[in-house]
Amino acid sequence: MTRKLLRGALLGAAVIAVLAVPAGSLYYEYKADASCARCHEIRKNYNAWHASSHREVACGACHGEITTLDAGFHLGNVRRLVQHVRQGFADPVRLGTKDIPRLMERCRSCHRQEFAQWQTGAHSATYRRLFLDAPHNRQRLLMDDCLRCHGMHFEGGIGDLVAPLDAKGPWRLLRPELADQPAIPCLTCHQVHREGELLPRAARPVEKSAAQSAAKSASQQELLRPSVGLFDRREQKHFSVELLPLPAMRDGTRAVKISPDIRQALCYQCHAPLAGGLAGSGDDRTPVGVHEGLSCLACHLKHGQQTRASCANCHPQLSNCGLDVEKMDTTFVSTASRHNIHVVKCADCHPKGIPRKRTDRAGNRVR
Amino acid sequence: MAFKHVNAVIVGAGAGGGVAAKELAAGGLSVVLLERGKWYSAADCRKDDLRNQRTSPLGNNSGPDEARNPRVVVDLNGQERVVLPSEGGYSNNAGCVGGGTLTYGAQAWRFQEKDFRMATTYGVPEGSTLSDWPISYAELEPYYEKAEYEIGVSGDVSTDPFHGPRRKPLPMPPLPVGREHTILKPAAQRLGLHPFDIPMLRNSVPYGGRPPCMQCRWCVGFVCEVNAKCGTQNTSIPAALATGNCELRTGCMAREVLTDARGRATGVAYYDADDRLCEQTADIVIVSSAAVESARLLLNSKSQMYPAGLGNRYGWVGRNFQGHSYSGAWGLFDFETYDDIGPGASIAVCDYNHGNPGLIGGAMLANEFIRLPYQFVSVAPPGVAQWGRGHKDFMRQWYRRSIAIQGPTQEIPIADSRVEVDAKVKDFWGLPVARLSGGKHPKTMETSAAMTDKAEAWLKAAGAIRTWKKLSGKGTSGGQHQAGTCRMGDDPRVSVVDKYCRVHDHDNLYVIDGSVHVTNGGFNPALTIMAIAYYAAERIVKGRKGRGV
Amino acid sequence: MDHLKINSWRRRRFLRIAGTATACGVLTSCARENSPWRFLTTAEGRTLDAICEQIIPTDQTPGAAWAGVVNFIDRQLMGPYRRQQTAYRSGLREIDQAAVSKFGKDFAALDTGQQTALLQALEGGAKRFFSTVIAHTMQGYYGDPRHGGNRDAVSWRMLGVPVIPIRGRNRYEFPKQGAR
Repeated sequence: MTRKLLRGALLGAAVIAVLAVPAGSLYYEYKADASCARCHEIRKNYNAWHASSHREVACGACHGEITTLDAGFHLGNVRRLVQHVRQGFADPVRLGTKDIPRLMERCRSCHRQEFAQWQTGAHSATYRRLFLDAPHNRQRLLMDDCLRCHGMHFEGGIGDLVAPLDAKGPWRLLRPELADQPAIPCLTCHQVHREGELLPRAARPVEKSAAQSAAKSASQQELLRPSVGLFDRREQKHFSVELLPLPAMRDGTRAVKISPDIRQALCYQCHAPLAGGLAGSGDDRTPVGVHEGLSCLACHLKHGQQTRASCANCHPQLSNCGLDVEKMDTTFVSTASRHNIHVVKCADCHPKGIPRKRTDRAGNRVR
Repeated sequence: MAFKHVNAVIVGAGAGGGVAAKELAAGGLSVVLLERGKWYSAADCRKDDLRNQRTSPLGNNSGPDEARNPRVVVDLNGQERVVLPSEGGYSNNAGCVGGGTLTYGAQAWRFQEKDFRMATTYGVPEGSTLSDWPISYAELEPYYEKAEYEIGVSGDVSTDPFHGPRRKPLPMPPLPVGREHTILKPAAQRLGLHPFDIPMLRNSVPYGGRPPCMQCRWCVGFVCEVNAKCGTQNTSIPAALATGNCELRTGCMAREVLTDARGRATGVAYYDADDRLCEQTADIVIVSSAAVESARLLLNSKSQMYPAGLGNRYGWVGRNFQGHSYSGAWGLFDFETYDDIGPGASIAVCDYNHGNPGLIGGAMLANEFIRLPYQFVSVAPPGVAQWGRGHKDFMRQWYRRSIAIQGPTQEIPIADSRVEVDAKVKDFWGLPVARLSGGKHPKTMETSAAMTDKAEAWLKAAGAIRTWKKLSGKGTSGGQHQAGTCRMGDDPRVSVVDKYCRVHDHDNLYVIDGSVHVTNGGFNPALTIMAIAYYAAERIVKGRKGRGV
Repeated sequence: MDHLKINSWRRRRFLRIAGTATACGVLTSCARENSPWRFLTTAEGRTLDAICEQIIPTDQTPGAAWAGVVNFIDRQLMGPYRRQQTAYRSGLREIDQAAVSKFGKDFAALDTGQQTALLQALEGGAKRFFSTVIAHTMQGYYGDPRHGGNRDAVSWRMLGVPVIPIRGRNRYEFPKQGAR
């Protein structure tokens, strides 16, 4: 008897819940976007969006329109409503593994060029590419720490993603639907809801030091987008790049000069040295030697990371030595090579001592 | 609900139970390992400054469950209050697979030879229950070594002249040292002390199929993000399961140890993850729930034959409750000492463990683990404002220019520092909760005070421009170093278990954890708990083989 | 044993449904309440903000108010601090009453010097409440940003602690191919 009553009550509640979602959404649409913020858990995100450079993009454009026939969208809303009522929601609400692909599409719809660049670069690697790579997995242990930089939006541990966690394989994804999803999506390095003016009014120099930036004219300065920030897996939130540290690097005991370009703080989070900051340790690629002091972004493209033809940025034609820099050494990409572009030093080619620069009387270089 | 009969059931998958499970399973015994908490992995590391096992204003990160496990604490004035696991005074260790070894600071100390002969060395001070261990350092030495190699220890004790004889060096070299180490080492040497690299149950190089430490600032109190901390959850317990002889059941809260009409233990009654009452029968029952909960389980296992609980014929279960009287000093410097490189604690001296004139025992002194910003709030010396501009200035000026030196002063056990079961307060399952009461022996406080002087002198020698002492309180300590409540001894009238950890009166009931420590050394006790587990488990396995099982 | 089990199952289920129903009520009522906070009223939030700012004032770096300590406390009052809800309700009222009786204004409306003097002179229950707020403010200001305080890790940056440390991976390379 009680059971029947309970079941009836539950069914009734379910019907109300299902109806409440579109009704609620319609109500919000009617009242314009401000009413989204009536729920406590999204107010913070709403406020950030309202102050962000995306403020002219309506909520629905990214989060989906109420008129959609996508069942997943509506079921997600029901789930959120239930969580809200039970106060079991994450406060503030945040994105989950499942939300990422839909959001990527939204980014692509406006930022086509950046998206295309990213797609051609290494950072667009998929879960399959990263976690089912047999040569890697045979050689190196798959561990939870991988997820710090790869698959940072994945909810769970490495044991929930790949099996088996050994050197033998064969490996498979425990969440096969992720296989072709990007593991380092736009939201790794960008925060959509972020205070900031619409560009170009928000133009801020990328370099921290005023003296450095004064050296260049305003037109030469690259702009720091307010959206640039790292998604930290532990905190489950973004930190603006301005809050992130640039490391104090050393080469042996010598302090390495690094570029003041603060966008690098983002790169350093994953391409990081081990504790102690030794250049070249861990995944670090800090340039030492002839290229010391250059920003990562002096050579690497922001979204695609390629360096193609980047030498020409600084070497109009030729190197200091009068050699064609793009042809001078084919081992510059190999991390093991001493001619690697990140570590090459004058002494690597001039073991007997570095010749003085040859200049004519006017101070111009001669060949 | 009943299960297939097994050779051994172990209650608690921590430092003692985890090692015992592995040894028994590898020795061919069928084992069921019961654990009230969950099995966490590195993925559960959230590096949350406000929610961890050491700093828990917003809760614990590895149990026990906040709502289900209250305790009663009686303070020195006789005031009693109900406390939750994340609150002060609870003496929480952990409630998870691996127990405290999941989140500990992982110092891997061997006790010294004298630590096993405290009564012989110092006599028995009035009002204390100080006693020798029934076993010696030499008897335990091979098992210390086994723990160091099987679970994994890094460090270098070669320049410590005070440690007992050892056959092998530590299996891993020490981690690269941080700034505090380089400041403190020459200072200690100038004082004529013998500084060295703390032995740690933490990988400094790849070991046991796990990577080395990344030296982050979230160490003690946290699950290791890179799985470099060595605990039973990533060593012994997986090894036990791999034998095929061991079954681990998580979410299982033991209710009582069952006994038959002849007084032999027959198994354990427990509530499973769905709160169903279950029974696991076994030839051998091993209680490994740490000093508070092991005592509580024995005391709650009452029957007509044992109205005061098991092993408690002479009323010794729960007595001699002790942890360490943690004392030391803080120093402020006019140069930066902070380098954001963990685990922080890296340099120690053992010059003050014994031989302090007029005092009993002493402590190993070491620099403290790296501090998180919130932890520094409570550091402020007397005279600094608790709030307002003065507080903020103190934080800003000194956070990166301070060092703490502390040591776990060995406690002189007293009978009145004890764990009982409360007559009124029950936990979620209706079981009487642990009731903690008592304090410290005056001699303990004397030694602690002397240790604060030594710590302060070291800081001054290192160039501290201001120092102040931090003396332990007079209440019971317990905490993560909890020990002593089922002390080991040859005389059943003044101890609970024999020298093989077997409860007197019950030839198949064992206690294997810190509870059996007669005294707790001037050291973090984890490695000793593991060594005793290896030692006791070996005896159990051999004993069964002798009987042809 | 079995009947106990079923009873407890029913009880839990009933509690769950009852809880949901209550929460529904709360939901409809929350639409009426115009406070920007979860637990606090707008006025309480204002008073608490002023108290927190006294505890960690703004100087060359932002203080507790900018860091969002009230947001932190308000959020925890719906979670781990739940047991202190009544203490906050009555404690904030008491401090405001003290401000009105002494200076004729709400606490938040007093000038800084008056606020400091008032907090320093607190006694009894109000003093105990204030020490609770001190403890909570320290947590909100120096704890992790994820809990709603320490906005932009402001305190960590003030102390010179890297918000997210730079740490490369210590890869675990298998000793030889295929070995484990």
